[in-house]
Amino acid sequence: MPRRLVRIWLLQVKQMSRSSFEMMGAVLLPLLFATLAFYVLRAGTHPHALLGASIGAGLMGTWSTVLFGAGSAIDHQRWQGTLELIVAAPTPLIVVLLSLTLATTTVGIYSLVATMTWGAILFGVPLDLVHPAAFLVAIPATIVALATLGLLMASTFIVLRNANALANTGEFPIWLLSGVLVPVALLPTWVQPVSSLLAPTWGVRALREAALGGSPWRAIGACVLCAAVQLALAAVALRRVERRARDRATLALT
Amino acid sequence: MTARAWLRLVIVGGRISYRALFNWTSPLMYIPTLLVSPLLGTLFFAYLGRYAGGRDDTFYVLGNGLLAVAGPCVFGGMMALANERRYQTLGAVLGTPAPRGAILVGRAVPYVGNGLFTAVVVTTLAALMLRVSIRIADVPGLLLAALAAAASCTAFGLALGAIGMRVRDVWVISNTVWVSLWLVSGANVARSALPDWLEVVGGLLPISHGIDAARAIAGGSPAAGLIAREVALGAAWAAIATLLFRTFERSGRRHAALDRG
Repeated sequence: MPRRLVRIWLLQVKQMSRSSFEMMGAVLLPLLFATLAFYVLRAGTHPHALLGASIGAGLMGTWSTVLFGAGSAIDHQRWQGTLELIVAAPTPLIVVLLSLTLATTTVGIYSLVATMTWGAILFGVPLDLVHPAAFLVAIPATIVALATLGLLMASTFIVLRNANALANTGEFPIWLLSGVLVPVALLPTWVQPVSSLLAPTWGVRALREAALGGSPWRAIGACVLCAAVQLALAAVALRRVERRARDRATLALT
Repeated sequence: MTARAWLRLVIVGGRISYRALFNWTSPLMYIPTLLVSPLLGTLFFAYLGRYAGGRDDTFYVLGNGLLAVAGPCVFGGMMALANERRYQTLGAVLGTPAPRGAILVGRAVPYVGNGLFTAVVVTTLAALMLRVSIRIADVPGLLLAALAAAASCTAFGLALGAIGMRVRDVWVISNTVWVSLWLVSGANVARSALPDWLEVVGGLLPISHGIDAARAIAGGSPAAGLIAREVALGAAWAAIATLLFRTFERSGRRHAALDRG
């Protein structure tokens, strides 16, 4: 199973690296997000939040890549007529989709590195990390958190005609709820419990606390735990959605 | 061609192309993509503004409310031409003797109306949610600013769509422009706070003067000049769209590459 996971992951990374759309999303958008965040925050009274903005903008880019990657991966399989073959193959569908989503997050890791470098070079944001070891551990934990959330959303894409277009709507809710740029504490009180159920919220907190100071290890633990729950939910949702699509013969829906 | 036939082509042709080519017509796609997403975007930037402590909610509601026209207008205008190629129908459309002006105008009109509707819904809901008050007396002016922005965005979208008659993946361009507008249009950062070259870029892209006009109206300042500037910019983009459409039509015919996917 791990070998299949790696092979599918590698194939998807290769395919994405040849798509100008995917590459534009991965390379350019995080820099635009970072520039926007820097200008908004620099215009305000929180210039010390710029390192947090670098990290947040990187995660915005990662989430966009995951979301569009997951949406377009399913759309592409459908347009190429390979979705039925994937479902019919003995490899569990969740393994295929997890590999595809992990491939998009792999490209998304660049976002984090790029926005932090961009911030340091263009806006003079210092890269002084308070807990560098925790930061290095928090990165893969957050990436897995985003990947499993993307997987959960991707399971619904299978029954939708224009999954890629609907992916547009998934950006802002997660950016808001997970506190990538705006601390969750500033959101309305009723939103905060919802935020705490999302693995990326803990990932963002872990990265911020590792970079700016705090106790990141607890947030890393919560992030991994929530990611595991997201993965389990995705597996259940995927099984149901796959069954429904096969029952109704709607896999090839275009 | 008679005026009646020309008008028929605009209305009937525009309606059919809208239903056939706009990817987001079903309520399941329309509401989340064109209404919920920009509304959440407005809330996101308003909260970011609160955290930053710079501008008030009105700044973000008016900026992003107007920016909401970019979804249906820029992407819609682009789909109105580029999707013909995707669905392999461009050859059939260009094989007809229909005047190209009527084809372009017919395709633009539904998106302008769509953009205006989106701006009204998003601005109203965002204002209600964030408790931003908009004076009733300002509404006609704001509608006019949104209409001008919708028209110029659609013209810009058609120009991108015309490029899509030649380029394989025009979504790369439209998505980059879309996110760039968050930055350079002035919706979230005052254009005067940007570097000079970015301010110039923002001024050449649609919406920025419309947003300035909306804020001027809300602030009680005259905005006729800003709206006129947005309309003039839209006219310029419409001229560019027509030029690109004719150029790529000619070269597509010559190289038999109209429907090359």
